[in-house]
Amino acid sequence: MLNFEILVENFFGILNVVPQTVALAVTIFILSILVGTVMALIQEYNVPVIKQIVMLFKLFMRGTPLIVFIFIMYYSLPGIVSFFTNLLNLDYNPHNMSPVVILIVAVSLTVSSFQAETIRASFLSVSYGQIEAARSLGYTPFQAFLRIITPQALVEALPEFGNAFLVVMKAISLGFMITVVDIFAEARLIAASNSYYVEAFIVAALMYWGIAYIVVTLTNKYESSLARRT
Amino acid sequence: MDAPNTLEIISLLLEVAHVSLIILVVSAVLGLLLGSLLTMINVKDIPVLKQFTVVISSFTRSVPIIIQLFLVYYALPPILANFGIDASNLSATVAAILALTLYHGGYLTEVLRAAYKAVDKGQHEAADSFGYTPTKKFFRIILPQVVPVALPGWGNALIHLIHDTSLVFALGVADIMGRAELIAAASFGMNQVTVFITVAIIYIIFTFLSDGMVRLFEKKTRKYKLDSGLNARGM
Repeated sequence: MLNFEILVENFFGILNVVPQTVALAVTIFILSILVGTVMALIQEYNVPVIKQIVMLFKLFMRGTPLIVFIFIMYYSLPGIVSFFTNLLNLDYNPHNMSPVVILIVAVSLTVSSFQAETIRASFLSVSYGQIEAARSLGYTPFQAFLRIITPQALVEALPEFGNAFLVVMKAISLGFMITVVDIFAEARLIAASNSYYVEAFIVAALMYWGIAYIVVTLTNKYESSLARRT
Repeated sequence: MDAPNTLEIISLLLEVAHVSLIILVVSAVLGLLLGSLLTMINVKDIPVLKQFTVVISSFTRSVPIIIQLFLVYYALPPILANFGIDASNLSATVAAILALTLYHGGYLTEVLRAAYKAVDKGQHEAADSFGYTPTKKFFRIILPQVVPVALPGWGNALIHLIHDTSLVFALGVADIMGRAELIAAASFGMNQVTVFITVAIIYIIFTFLSDGMVRLFEKKTRKYKLDSGLNARGM
């Protein structure tokens, strides 16, 4: 049966990598919101050519499993980057690119293609009267966008963002395939070192479950406070 | 083995495509059955068992699928050994199917429960007042209305399942991804990008076939979709 000493030992062993896992998740999460917003705007404003590229990319991402995309990036990103650095005559050798950077790029791109939908819907939920009111007060379109539309769209999108953050957390667990160490990778390393596989995976699973519980609780708190305000 | 060309890569990958497909289809069918069972327990409010379904569904949605795969693979044999069942030679494929079934079932519970709740109360009352037996009521009145509401969610669940079958090679299943890793490792840094783009295209084809199937079902069941429940409240 389960060895409790090992469970406790693993818990503290894996706890060491929780901060860096969360930090990585937050980085990817913020990047995916930024890229997702850009994608949403390109679609909204009908930017020719780029819009078609974004649509094609979304179709590609819908059909491609994350792990496949991570491998594609792992093998092609250094080449792509070196192509551009050569173009600009920069002195940078991308062939020792850190796998963490590759994971960040791959997961951010994947999640942002889903985020774009959420963000688009939340921008569309801001009523047109708001924009008209801002314009009549003499705001420039850019000011209106930044000060009037974005705050309201954010309020709409925040509950969804809690969900998206958990998706990112889970997605990072595939980093072990390209030697990035997160909660799951650490659990595997510990399991390999002391041969208590079940204990290590149970602790890792409970960690993720705990983090999910915290995020969901925070999101619900926020939602109920919103409900009170409106 | 020297570096294979693109055509050889495609044929090498398609050789094992049936392995991925079998795992996918079996998990999808079993997962749908499990999801329906869990939903039934949930809406019928069976004590103790209901809490159990909530825990399962929360677990499968909070924990990365890769951990679920490893947990089933490593933890199931010792658990079964306690009941005197010898599963020490549990194959990676069976473990993968079990884990994916549990995951898919847990995911579907949410979808099916929401769809069941979307059927208007009046439909239940009307069926009762006509003297339908509970079984007859479910199959003739409720289920036809649950299906069209649940279809979009089921389509999304299938996409997730298709994506997650790409991880079973981590347990050592010789599927498309397993073969892709072998080719990539054997060709000394040649054509690895080609290999994984080919894998992506195979999965994209799976995804679009699944999407097409769900759309076909949506077309067929559209006539059962009543403007009740969700729509009546202006959602």
